[in-house]
Amino acid sequence: MSFELGMMLLALFGLAGMGLPIAYAILCAALLYLELSGRGVGLAGKLLMDGLYQSFVLLAVPLFIVAANIMNAGSIADRLLKFCIALVGRFKGGMGHVNVVASLIFSGMSGSAVADAAGIGKIIIEMMTKDGRFGRGYAAAITAASATIGPIIPPSIPMVLYALVSNTSIGYLFFAGIVPGLLMGVVLMAMNVYISHKRGYATEAPVPLRDMPRTTARAFPALMMPVILLSGIYLGYTTPTEAAAVAALYALVVAAFIYRELTWRSLYAVFADAARSSASVGIVIGGALILNYIVSDQKIPEMVARAMVGLDVSPLVFLLMVNLIILALGCLLDASTIILVIIPLFIPTCRELGIDLVHFGVVAVVNCMIGLITPPYGILLFVINAVTGIPLAEIIKEIWAFLVALVLALLAMILFPDMVLFLPRLLGYQG
Amino acid sequence: MKTISNLFSRVTESVAALMMAAMFATFIIQIIVRYVVGAEWFTALLGHSLDPSYFGWTLEFCLALWVWIVFWGNSFVVRESDHVRFDILFFLVSPKVQRIFAFVGALVVIGAMLYSIEPTYAKMKILRLKSSATLPVKMLPIYSIYFLFLVVVPIRYAWRAYVVARKGLPEETIQ
Repeated sequence: MSFELGMMLLALFGLAGMGLPIAYAILCAALLYLELSGRGVGLAGKLLMDGLYQSFVLLAVPLFIVAANIMNAGSIADRLLKFCIALVGRFKGGMGHVNVVASLIFSGMSGSAVADAAGIGKIIIEMMTKDGRFGRGYAAAITAASATIGPIIPPSIPMVLYALVSNTSIGYLFFAGIVPGLLMGVVLMAMNVYISHKRGYATEAPVPLRDMPRTTARAFPALMMPVILLSGIYLGYTTPTEAAAVAALYALVVAAFIYRELTWRSLYAVFADAARSSASVGIVIGGALILNYIVSDQKIPEMVARAMVGLDVSPLVFLLMVNLIILALGCLLDASTIILVIIPLFIPTCRELGIDLVHFGVVAVVNCMIGLITPPYGILLFVINAVTGIPLAEIIKEIWAFLVALVLALLAMILFPDMVLFLPRLLGYQG
Repeated sequence: MKTISNLFSRVTESVAALMMAAMFATFIIQIIVRYVVGAEWFTALLGHSLDPSYFGWTLEFCLALWVWIVFWGNSFVVRESDHVRFDILFFLVSPKVQRIFAFVGALVVIGAMLYSIEPTYAKMKILRLKSSATLPVKMLPIYSIYFLFLVVVPIRYAWRAYVVARKGLPEETIQ
């Protein structure tokens, strides 16, 4: 490792550790590197601006945020919940299933795990803990665990970020996420059944079947959102980025004209909040672009690749190793930072070892999402703790069972690439 | 003073919201143009008064708005607490050390960003001459937002450093 790289890492960890925003810590550390290596401090701004200005795929990020904000602004969460209760409330562990299914559906709209946990998750936790039917730690834990599905089922901001650093197709990544996302839902529900039987958790009173059509109709426009998004991409009417705009427009039309609950004031809040979130995500992306330049300037990804090929590591062992690294880092770093900064280090190795990059991307994103609920440091645990006031210790005590279920699902995705690649291949992916 | 600062944040926030809305609208125009303008029934109805080639600017306009949202936003709209940060260590140390961390961190940001202004301009100067591919401006005005960011963020951190030194940590950083 060169002197300037060492100094940069020291500055980066030092400044980030002192609590500076990650983006500014990266920027300052990168400036130090550019100064010491004699490439000129001015290069940072150039890389940052060019990177953001030339990455068309990134435009999907603000648009998905707009769509999610519109969906969160009105009564859509409430309608979806009623639909989910009617659908799965009657089975053993009723509200637990409702929680998972609501996350599955909701994830087709928001693309952000934190939005999922803070929005619909909070409502469900209140319903689950009312009259003490479920332990509050359990309710919080299953909510956190099911929120990780959000960015696996499209639309997904983490997948967009992965597409940016790996040059893979967002469309295929989106389709590749569907089956793994469903699998995660299934394993969580299985765990819920098992625990509910053991502890005798309650079941919801069955909703009469004759009410089903009405409940479905009330939720239907919201349910159509992922369908519109994916069919636009699949049929080639829109690019994935444009599909994000269409999804946002659709959400706007549904909220304003079908559900009639969007005021000018709330519309303004939607755009202002979206601008705020986009800016704070955008600056991290920008910082990561500079960091990626430096890392490839130092030929680090190639060094990793050569080391791995030299060690004669089999693709499977490599994948498992990377996953362990990401899981460990997930306890420390935020998912977007891992995807933008750490994952690119391994991409050349994947190419050398013949690992499919769409497969790798889905596995890596699932892994990062599991990192969001891994104690001691998981953003989702903190978010739920913050919005509900349920003590962290109680959440953490209950999270392990779901963590094990999700890790098993991840293992299945690693061992059987076809599970991930089946759908994209069906739709023309050559990989 | 309080009202001026409130008014200022209201105005800067609405500029950001407006840019976001404009970006969204431009995307929709771009999609509509592709499927509507130039379709046979459309030319039959309106003739060639509108041509799809008039709309080549939409994509680059969105990219320009995106860059502006990011840097305008981080200059004026993003609150300290909205940033992604790695705060395990920060919350482990005593309040006194936290205060030192916040102060030193602010000084580093101020120094680094101000120091980079001149070299960054030297690097980007050439963009005065380079025209944008589809927008009727040169590239430098589009990139100029980065200089605003390099000036405003140090001013914000100078204020923060002052508050931390005089009164202690601002409330938003305490969990």
